[in-house]
Amino acid sequence: MTADDSFREMLAMIELEMRRLRHDRTEIYTRAIQPILWLSVFGTVMSQVRGIPTGGMPYIDYITPGVLLQSTIFVSVFYGLTIVWERETGILKRLLVAPASRWATVIGRSVASGVRAVVQALIIFPVAVLLGVKFVHNPLYIAAAFLVLFLVSGGFAAISIFVASLMKTRERFMGLGQALIMPLFFASNALYPIELMPRALQYIAVLNPLTYAVDATRGLLISGDLSSLAVDVVAIIVFDVVIFAVASVSFKKIIE
Amino acid sequence: MAFAIEARQLTKIYDGKTKALDGVDLRVNPAKVFALLGPNGSGKTTLMRVLTTQFKPTSGEARSFGLDVVESGSEVRKMIGYVPQETSVWADISGFENLLIYSKVYGVPSSLRKKSITDALQSMGLEEVAKRMVKTYSGGMVRRLEIACALLVKPRVLFLDEPTIGLDPSARKAVWENLTSFKKEYGTTVFFNTHYMDEADLYSDEIAIINKGKIVKSGTPSQLKHSLRSEILQFRSNHNSIDENVLRNIKGLAVVRDAIISDSQLDVFVEDGEFALPLVIEALRSEGVSIERISITRPTLDDVFLKYVGTLSFGRGKG
Repeated sequence: MTADDSFREMLAMIELEMRRLRHDRTEIYTRAIQPILWLSVFGTVMSQVRGIPTGGMPYIDYITPGVLLQSTIFVSVFYGLTIVWERETGILKRLLVAPASRWATVIGRSVASGVRAVVQALIIFPVAVLLGVKFVHNPLYIAAAFLVLFLVSGGFAAISIFVASLMKTRERFMGLGQALIMPLFFASNALYPIELMPRALQYIAVLNPLTYAVDATRGLLISGDLSSLAVDVVAIIVFDVVIFAVASVSFKKIIE
Repeated sequence: MAFAIEARQLTKIYDGKTKALDGVDLRVNPAKVFALLGPNGSGKTTLMRVLTTQFKPTSGEARSFGLDVVESGSEVRKMIGYVPQETSVWADISGFENLLIYSKVYGVPSSLRKKSITDALQSMGLEEVAKRMVKTYSGGMVRRLEIACALLVKPRVLFLDEPTIGLDPSARKAVWENLTSFKKEYGTTVFFNTHYMDEADLYSDEIAIINKGKIVKSGTPSQLKHSLRSEILQFRSNHNSIDENVLRNIKGLAVVRDAIISDSQLDVFVEDGEFALPLVIEALRSEGVSIERISITRPTLDDVFLKYVGTLSFGRGKG
């Protein structure tokens, strides 16, 4: 088995996801509804309150990066459902008997989910523009923000694959997936600065990869302040490497 | 020449307690069709999953064309094709797209990709429906597509776990006709698990019966049937000329194990019908019996299965 085999498998998994998306985009549209509500209702209303220190930016602008990330992470966290379904069918068995490594399958699927997540964010992005969110004008910054989105979504998809390899049934997976997303969102700087949180929650927020992703994308998309970008990106990459390793190791359990 | 599949004293124990395989010894010659028969929970699927490198055996060894399935797992994976019992294609893309994705996963070089996809579609008779979404396929078409995906790499050994379960007789026939002609063309060894005795009888060169994790009997279909040593010769006479006297004399023949009369029909139980028939006819003639009709009833694979396993079970499950 060569690195070439593994790379090819990863590309095939991405292609699979794009082809599925091309045939049926309903999920992408219905999943856009919730984040659009966050922006258009919650964001607009809370903008009137002005109780949250946002460093001078309108509240709706402040939460846009977090809402974009939440929507992509939603896609990633529930990607494990696809894996659970493929476990119930024979697809996973078959992929594990193909001449490619387990880690290629795991990373390939995670990256594929990242691609799907970015497509999701691309749907919400123009809506945010229409709602009056003022993005940084530099297209390179925007592209870099989407890259961050992609990286962190891939990591969350790997968490999802890891959870799928432990849970193995749809019902258990759904329960855990639901239990994971909102706490992740609330225990991050997506809706309010960390300094406003109770101390215990602050510790969680510091360990939450979403915090770094929000910080990086907020800098790139809204404020243009890149002073902490390097730290954020390193944190996300460390998160990805660790979770890819864990998910790859546990993946074989899924078919046993 | 190495065996296509060779297993020696293969055992698999799940969670330290459930013994799924209990010392399996097995040899499959290249370019043969090999059927593994067994009731539910007998270890069929476990054996296939060990041979296809999904599980490590607890002890013993298995080789495919001389390559150890544990030590050389990745080389083995390159030369085998595997179709699990459950659905293994994506329903939300077309048949062609499934083949395209699998051809990339299996590493078919891009220059050969188009041809191997066309060949696979042709082998399984799916050219006309290739562009359709898989969710519109019938059960038989899905199964043929799954097999087509495994044929992309022209595997040396093709593993099929319950290949025709749940299919109607014409779909089953179509699957086997396509498989047989593919096998003829490429000399692939086919190893399949099944519950259908008729299928094993018709399409396999060799059969092994597995029960409680052990191979209890193996051989060609006709060897297995002969191994029961019980064929029945039935004679019908129009003049009630078969009486107790005749019966006694027939029972006295060395080749005859037992004989009974029912409704002016004489049933003679023998080991080998073809060999015994002339002797019994001669004995009946010398008794002055005029024979109107003769038939030979041979045991079926069902009888063989019943004898070695004890029950016939047609359910579906982890085998």
